[in-house]
Order: sequence, then structure tokens, then C-alpha cells
Amino acid sequence: MIEIKKKQFGDFIKNLMETYRVFAPTKDGKKSSFSEIKKADEIVDVHTTKSAKSVFFPQAEVLFNYSENEIEVPNLEQKPIALWGIHSCDTKGLLSLDKVFKNAHQLPNNKMYEDPYWNKKYAESLIFTLACNEPLTTCFCNWFESGPFDKTGADIFVVDNGESFLLEAISDKGQTFFIQSGFDQEGEHQHAVFSLKKKAESMMEEKQDISSVFETLNEIQEKEFWEEITQKCINCGACTFVCPTCHCFDVSDEGKHQKGKRIRVWDSCMFGIFTEEASGHNPRGLSYQRVQQRIMHKFNYFYDNYEEHLCSGCGRCIRVCPTNLDIREIVKKIIKRKNNV
Amino acid sequence: MIDKLHEKVKSLLEEKQVELVIGWGKGSLPLTATPVFIKDTKDVDQLIFDHTCRNNLTMYLTKDKKSLGKIHDKIAIIVKGCDSRSVVLYAVENQIKRENVVIIGVPCSGIIEKKKISELTNDMEVLSTQIEGDHIIIKGRKEEFKFKLTEILSDSCLQCRYPDAIEYDHFIGEPRGEIDINDEYSVVEKFQEKSSKERWEAVKEEYSKCIRCYACRNVCPSCYCNECFVDGNDPQWIGKTPEVTDSIIFHLIRNLHIAGRCVDCGSCVSACPVDIDLRLMNKKVEKEVKERFNYVAGIDINEKPAMASFCEHEKQDFILD
Repeated sequence: MIEIKKKQFGDFIKNLMETYRVFAPTKDGKKSSFSEIKKADEIVDVHTTKSAKSVFFPQAEVLFNYSENEIEVPNLEQKPIALWGIHSCDTKGLLSLDKVFKNAHQLPNNKMYEDPYWNKKYAESLIFTLACNEPLTTCFCNWFESGPFDKTGADIFVVDNGESFLLEAISDKGQTFFIQSGFDQEGEHQHAVFSLKKKAESMMEEKQDISSVFETLNEIQEKEFWEEITQKCINCGACTFVCPTCHCFDVSDEGKHQKGKRIRVWDSCMFGIFTEEASGHNPRGLSYQRVQQRIMHKFNYFYDNYEEHLCSGCGRCIRVCPTNLDIREIVKKIIKRKNNV
Repeated sequence: MIDKLHEKVKSLLEEKQVELVIGWGKGSLPLTATPVFIKDTKDVDQLIFDHTCRNNLTMYLTKDKKSLGKIHDKIAIIVKGCDSRSVVLYAVENQIKRENVVIIGVPCSGIIEKKKISELTNDMEVLSTQIEGDHIIIKGRKEEFKFKLTEILSDSCLQCRYPDAIEYDHFIGEPRGEIDINDEYSVVEKFQEKSSKERWEAVKEEYSKCIRCYACRNVCPSCYCNECFVDGNDPQWIGKTPEVTDSIIFHLIRNLHIAGRCVDCGSCVSACPVDIDLRLMNKKVEKEVKERFNYVAGIDINEKPAMASFCEHEKQDFILD
């Protein structure tokens, strides 16, 4: 563990920028999101409105440009990304997305398809996970075998102790960065980190045992259950767009005549046209069916594939929902149902 | 007042006058009420009415695939002044049969805009609140603030002329009466003082924040098209990316679609996750319709909507220069 005094932080970021494009939480009007910075003083220490997924998976991304005779793929050979100030929940979100994009599906030749747009950016990135000293009351990462000081997925784990940042190399990439930077892992800060960790954990609401959720969702057949718990949802996409794990996208062409670009754009299972077919038939034509899809994807389908939930408990969807449809309450109702049967 | 509301709802359900009551209940977060759908008299106690009851619940009567107003023959809904104007709007636009909806009107003294609190407290997380007269005490983990209610009520509420339900079958509480407002278009007038270049820059900056989640559209009681133009893909009217050129088209067309139909309930402003100032343009079109056609949405259930009627003497200078 090494210490970077806050007054040296500007230089640290400056050095980092020689090798990396540095992304960090910044103010975005009255709100906040992750964007590329030029100077350390642009960085804010907040629970960002938007998640960090857009750093590697932007809301709109050009897959290729086309003209009459040519297809041109954007240059993917860019300076690698260093992502500073991402909390554990968002780091875990990136791990979930990596499962999807890295091994998206098996090709006929038995190789796994890797999404080139995601993969290169994420594989080469250096993730500085910042310990979350002050979780919000809407945070529930502790439901997912995680917590505000979870180091999973971090290359370097950072703790802000007020006067300085304490950095610990976690992954091989993190170790290499330490060696290249001439950092010495030695240093006695464990005690301070331990007490900050305890304090942050004590600020969180009691955790829920969600081990039964996957099985219970397999058993729920009747639509009345879904209709009732999703009745107030108005099917806007706010929850899915601020979510660090939602990753559905739509592909569309924008252009005139024979020239244009093919882009992929975030889609949302909340939208009425989400799975509307060309015939006009929509298997999820009703509001509750789309909320059901969202919950099933997060707590059942994804779990079926990867044995983990597609939710990291960041609480953003709870904070933005216009009708206060609280995902924690939905999960609790699923658990309660299991207990009642 | 709340006891009388509970009593009324209970009797409507007991006497089978309605099978469903839409109202507000306590939400899971401070300063946040949540829509509740009451079918059973034992759940009536869930109903609340206070400064947190933000949602214009009338949207549930018509919204795409919810259409509770069409599914249920007998439905009751609790409405503030602005919400009642939406019910009037639905009636004049033939979206509901007025006699199928039992309207329970309440007097509203304004809804708290949480975004104003965030701004005044530097994004402090609110843990609890307490109302003392016309002040509110807001507690966070480390800090405590005291504000005048007028500092944190929605702009829509501060400039609201009709706080009491206008159209109702039952009115619960003491009516506040029509309020004499003389600055209801102050934001528009201030904006119009800017040069056209400044206005364009401001509009671009505002709508460049948009993430196209459509929360504004989906909470809006006046937006009930079965297929919104942004969702059409044959032909595709606008691009799907959050490019500002597309976002501006979405917002400005939505503005025009709700011209003479917006009741300034403030739902869109509250719902926007990225804090776009959605009210400015809505007030602008509201002002235009009022000045040109002497029409205010949702006031008179017998009047034809401005955009569905034509009089020869109406100003036409926008058509013929």
C-alpha cells in the first residue's frame, strides 16, 4: 500500500495521463457522470448519477461507417483507459458486462465471439476502485456478497483517508503499474483502512439473504404476481440507463442514400418497442411483461448463465425512479413469496 | 383531512361504487410518495396526502397498455388541482368517459421539489424531514437545514392558479380558492429577453443533457399516444442516439404536441434524471395558446380543446405573414 498526499495528486494524474486516457467522476451540469479529464481538479467525489459503464460501452457507438463501396471500422487502437474513482458497485458492474461482451456467444467454429469494441478498451484498462466511505441509504451492495470496500475487479484499490489516497495493487496489471511507477507496496496503513471500512459498513442497511431468489423466480408462473408488483411502473428507461449492469442495445443505421454509419445505441426493456417484431407482434406488449423481463434478467436468466446476479446494488434505479418503484422491495416480495409457499 | 379521505375511499369500495382507487402512499425514500392502487378496504389506511404527493396519477387512466380507465368500469382517483385538469383534458379529448371515473378532489398547498433541496444542500442525502408551520427541517447524516417551504416547492406549484381540484365528485378538505398569480410566465419572459443566438445556445445546452429515457414523456398525463413518433421506425422519424440534434427534435415536438394540453403539473421536471429544465418550453407554448386562442387546458369540461376547434376571428399571422 502506498500513500499519495492530496497535494501530490495533481502530479499523479498528470503522470497517469502520459500512458492513459484518464476517466473519472465529473460534474455534468447539476448531475455527475464519468468522463475523460484533463486535470485532477475536474474530479468530484460523489455518488455519480450515471454509472461508469459508458466509459467502455457508450450510449451510442459507431460500429462502422459505410459508403457505396467501402466499410470503415473506427480506429480501435487508442491509448488505454485509466478509470479513477469508480466505486466497488460499478467495478462489479463492469465485471458483469465483461462476461457478456468478452464471451458473448459461441461461434460455429467453437470459438467464443469477443466484442472488439468492448474487449480491447476494457482488457487494456487500469481500474482504480475507490472505497466508498459514505454509502447512501439506497445502496445495497451488501446483498450481493460485496460491500463498500470490495476489491473485486479492481486493478488498484484506493482508500481516501482525508489527507491522502492509499493505493493497493490488486491485480497483475496493478502490480505491473506499481513496479513501472516505482511504487513500493510496503507501508503501514492497514489500521486506518480497517476503521474506515468498518464505519462505511456500519452505515449500510441490513443485508438481505437473496439466495432463494433465483429458484423462486423459476417457480413463479402466474401473471397476477407480476402485475401487482409492477403496477406503478410507467415504463420509462431511466432505471436501465443509469444502471451499471443493464446492457441491452439496439443497432440502427443513420445516413442518407449510400453513405452513413451503423451505430449501436442503448436500448431498454422498459420501452414498448423493446421486443416488437416486424410483424407488429410483441411478446412483451404489456407493461408488466417488460418489468418482469428486467427482474428475470437480473435475478434469474443472468444467474442461470453466470451464477451471479446482474445487479450490484448501486441503488441508482431507486434514486431516479419517477414512481418510486424500489427494486429492493420487489426482491423482498420475491423472497417473502418463497417463505409463504 | 386524511381521516375523511380514508372514510370516503372506504365507503366507495364498500358500496361497490368503484373497484379500484388510485392514490398516493408513503414511498420508500424521504420526501417521496408513491402511487398506490387500492382494491380492498383493509388497505385504505395506506393512503396519504401531503407535500410529497408528486405524481399526476391520472396518467394511469390512459397510459399505453395500462389504461386502467379502460380496463375498469368503476375507478376512483385522487386529484390535486393540476391533476384534475388532466381528467378534464381526458374528458374533452374523449379518452375517458367522465361518468366512469369517480374523482376525489383535494386542495393542494404545493409539492416539494427534491431537486431544489439537492441544489440548496449541495447534494446532501436527506435522511428525515419535519414540517414546522411554513418551514421544513431537513436532516442529513451530518448536517441539518431549515428552509421556508416556498424555497423548495416546485416552480409549477409556486405559480399555480388552481390548487383545488376543479372537477370532482367528492371534495375532501378546505378549498384554498383560485390564487391570483401575475407572474406565471416569468420564466418565459426572462428567456425572451435574450438574443436569438443566446436562446439557441441555451436550448442546445439544456437538451444536450438528455439521455432519451423518456421519463418526461411517460409521466406526462398529456402524452398518451399509442405510438409516440420517436418509437416509429417505418419510417424512422428521428435518430436514436443522445445526439443533441435528435434530442432537441424529440423535446420540441413533444412541446408542440402538448400545446394547449399541458396542465403544468411539474411531473416531467421532477422525473427527469438529468435535471433538464423542461418547464420553460412548456410554459412558452402554454402562453402562446392562451394569448392566441384564449384557451387554458383542463379548466372547462364543456369547452372544445384549442387544437381541435377553429374560429374565423382567430389570429392567423403565424400562417399568413
